[in-house]
Amino acid sequence: MRKGMLRCVMVLCCGVIFASGCAKEEMVKKEEPVAAPAAPVQAPKPAQPAAPREEAVTPQTVKEAPASIKEETVQVAPVSALEKIYFDFDSFTLSQVSRDTLAKNAEILLKKLSGKIQVEGHCDERGSDEYNLALGEKRAKAAVNYLVTLGVPAERLSVISYGKEKPADEGHDETAWAKNRRDEFAIIK
Amino acid sequence: MKKIICIVALLAILPITISAGQSYLEVTAPGNRQLQLAVANPVPLSGGENTGIARDIAELFRFDMTLAGPFSVMATTPTDSKSGIRPGDFSFDSWKGAGADLLIKSGYTVSGTTLTLECRLYDVTRGQELAAKRYSGSVTDLRRIAHTFSDEIMQVTTGERGPFTGKIAFVSKQTGNKELYLMDYDGYNVQRLSRNGSINLNPDFSPSGKEIIYTSYKKGNPDLYRRDIFSGKEARISAHRGINVTASYSPDGNRIALAMSKDGNSEIYIIGKDGKQLARLTNNSAIDVSPAWSPDGRQIAFVSDRLGKPQVFVMNADGSGVRRLTTSGAYNVSPRWSPKGDRIVYCRQQGGFQIFAINPDGSGDTQLTSQGSNEHPRWSPDGRYITFSSQRGGREAIYVMRADGSGQVMVSRGKGSDTHPAWSPRW
Repeated sequence: MRKGMLRCVMVLCCGVIFASGCAKEEMVKKEEPVAAPAAPVQAPKPAQPAAPREEAVTPQTVKEAPASIKEETVQVAPVSALEKIYFDFDSFTLSQVSRDTLAKNAEILLKKLSGKIQVEGHCDERGSDEYNLALGEKRAKAAVNYLVTLGVPAERLSVISYGKEKPADEGHDETAWAKNRRDEFAIIK
Repeated sequence: MKKIICIVALLAILPITISAGQSYLEVTAPGNRQLQLAVANPVPLSGGENTGIARDIAELFRFDMTLAGPFSVMATTPTDSKSGIRPGDFSFDSWKGAGADLLIKSGYTVSGTTLTLECRLYDVTRGQELAAKRYSGSVTDLRRIAHTFSDEIMQVTTGERGPFTGKIAFVSKQTGNKELYLMDYDGYNVQRLSRNGSINLNPDFSPSGKEIIYTSYKKGNPDLYRRDIFSGKEARISAHRGINVTASYSPDGNRIALAMSKDGNSEIYIIGKDGKQLARLTNNSAIDVSPAWSPDGRQIAFVSDRLGKPQVFVMNADGSGVRRLTTSGAYNVSPRWSPKGDRIVYCRQQGGFQIFAINPDGSGDTQLTSQGSNEHPRWSPDGRYITFSSQRGGREAIYVMRADGSGQVMVSRGKGSDTHPAWSPRW
């Protein structure tokens, strides 16, 4: 390191350099590890370094997040008695077949099942995943709204959208897509 | 233990007079002629030869400079000898003879776990040095060190530093679940960030590069999380009933735009970094998602199907002045505003997806990709490159390309399907 500085000084002495192009020499400390901020996370915004300063070349170590505390997730069990319904591409309109299926589901919900139901909206892989998150929710809400008109209390029904993240069929053809554009009905415990 | 890193800028002289506002390239290679760039084999400065390190350095420079744009990286290098890398220690003749305009010379010293890398960029025609840097660090930081000189080359030749020391955050399904990962922009040094076994989506870097926000189903609902990358600390900042998705940091880093459905259906909102709602920007029965800030923070591009099919719209950051941006194609999504503000990149569904770019006034609509299906375009922080996910035959992987669509190259090498890349600010 010292040798390097010496050489640097020697080079400086050479007359060929413009004043503005003079050798710069500096010590850059390795960046400190970012202190663990208390939640909510504070943005550690370091001051912008002065003009010719070089970034430290040693990266900070990205530490793996500590294994997160196991959260109690809502237990969702699929109920085979409640039939899935299906949609056309980029649509959340209920077909007559879907309405008939929902009528059957409503009857089960009113006569045989007492628990709460989560309606899961799903999409096929062709749409964008971002847009599909919103579309899946519209599909779930379409079913919920119809079930409510059939007399199922709204407080028994909730929705979640999985967009295209949980396909029922991993295939990449129309058969698979048709199976994936769906609502599923799950009992929440 | 604190290690002191010494970086010595040995020389930084410009060989020719360049007036303010003009870069070396504009003076040297007018008319966008690509400069022939040669990468000399890295040599040991002291101590023994390390062929592994030498090969890695040379390959890295070749990869960075090939993507860079202004250069055509020469396939072969002249047999220039055992010669030195400093001015006067070698002859330019063989390089001149081979047709090189620019030459990268580098030398390394490995001492225990410490690596010293000295890099020099030469203008072969004039026989002058354009940049010289010596970096010291851990041997394990070899790639970061070398990318730093690539960024420097861009600074010297174009007047703007390169983004090659940046990282790419992305989502990978290599464990079977969509988890968050981080890698060098060129696919090396992959590190896993999340480990929750759930679905994790849409990472976005804070302007400081120190944090990411992302949507996760890990507590059941698609909620928004803000995570400090280095400590791993995180907070759930938006957990409203329904979706909390497609979040994007404002350019000043103080606000976050996102889509939430808490008021009935998916609308665009602005929240603070603590999750407090600051504004609701859209209000209609259609789907509104994927907000993307203009670099001055005054406008937001977003996706809406209010006219039937998803299209890209632009509005002021207070929700006023909504106008349709994309008028061609039946299904346009995922807009992202370039850091310089001049282009908006987005995806169009036509069979699969293709990436397009358009001017903010709706003119200059240009298709950038055509092979396979391409999604999730994001700009490099300097706006000269775009990272995206692509499915070309096999699994989905992360690619990078120049802003005009040229130079497309796969960078992720994982075993799973890799999507949702986001290019960090300088690391």
